[in-house]
Amino acid sequence: MHMKKNNTALAQGLMRCHECGKLAQIHSPAPLICTRCGSHLHARLPHSFQRTLALLLSGFALYIPANLFPIMTVTKLGVGEPHTILGGIVALIHSDMLPIAMLVLVASILVPLLKLLGLSLLLLCVHFRWQVNAKLWTRLYRIIAFVGRWSMLDIFMISILVSLVNLGGVAQVIAGSAATAFAAVVVLTMFAAKSFDPRLIWDVQND
Amino acid sequence: MKILNYLACPECDLLLQRVLPAVNEKAHCPRCHYLLHRPRIQSITRTFALSLTGLFLLLPANLLPIVGIKILGNSHDGTLLSGSVTLFNEEMWAVAVVVFLASILFPMLSIILSLLISGHLYFHRPNRYLSAWLRTLQHIDEWAMLEVYLLGIIVACVKLASMAELKFGLGLTAFVLLLWVTLMLASNFDRVLFWQRIEQLNAHEEK
Repeated sequence: MHMKKNNTALAQGLMRCHECGKLAQIHSPAPLICTRCGSHLHARLPHSFQRTLALLLSGFALYIPANLFPIMTVTKLGVGEPHTILGGIVALIHSDMLPIAMLVLVASILVPLLKLLGLSLLLLCVHFRWQVNAKLWTRLYRIIAFVGRWSMLDIFMISILVSLVNLGGVAQVIAGSAATAFAAVVVLTMFAAKSFDPRLIWDVQND
Repeated sequence: MKILNYLACPECDLLLQRVLPAVNEKAHCPRCHYLLHRPRIQSITRTFALSLTGLFLLLPANLLPIVGIKILGNSHDGTLLSGSVTLFNEEMWAVAVVVFLASILFPMLSIILSLLISGHLYFHRPNRYLSAWLRTLQHIDEWAMLEVYLLGIIVACVKLASMAELKFGLGLTAFVLLLWVTLMLASNFDRVLFWQRIEQLNAHEEK
């Protein structure tokens, strides 16, 4: 591909359709609707910063109950107590299932936390116009956008356990209130990653 | 400047001259390394065939038992659907809806939309809803999480292995096949080509 230095579509008065990728003139007399797919055109995702910030703050707020409250209760023959996400991981380690414990640790605790922190860094970078290696930061954004879905692992696992271990007094698994908070964290951070426009990182670079 | 000869990178907005890479070769953005285009062999035919296969797998994967357990003589089977139904009955409706969307509705919709779009393109049938379908498909793709669900099944089974007898059903086979079809669909899908063909079809109809 032929490359022109520092030559963005925006600098040339063009914008790319978010949906189908077709280019259009920013200052066209016609209404700003893509001629190919009919969606609204914007040079950048509208209100990208504010939307991402709002979703991110909600994500941070819900991350606390998601980790403090019990995510599920397992009872066997009437005996059992509720445990949190971390408690479930500890229980897995105690029953010698270290690889699975690591998997749940990464998917349920590390990935959501790193997503929240990573998106905060991206917003700080855009807001304070940090001069960074934009290629590296775009890669950070891609990793955040890619790993988000894998945090749903815990939620799916609970849904399977709840429907399978449903034998009344013999054995039962009941989902706890943290499951709702945790699912909300995953969904909110996925929306936050989706509403962040990585082109903003490039826009604030001076070179 | 002819706008059609150019394209913009969706992640860094660099304006580039449009070059069609050879089949199975990749065109990356020279500035941020975003994968711009990767043409596949017979993308439309393969999408059509794969989504048709997926359509037949939808019902068995959703309704046949995936895993069954047996504890102290009590046995219970779980299907893809029973997880969200049980959660709903336990008044965890928010989690139930998220699980239902990510594991049942969105994978189903994505197969049906792929079939509709590729079918119309394969038989050269114009339809004014084509671009709306493709836009919807692009949005829901991220929320269909069959591969994460499979990991959830594995983790749940490892957790249950010590306390119950597990039995894998025909539904699991159908589910894994459906997952394979959705992964193949994603890797054979050529978004740039699909949008071009939709534009050609619709332009042809307007004449």
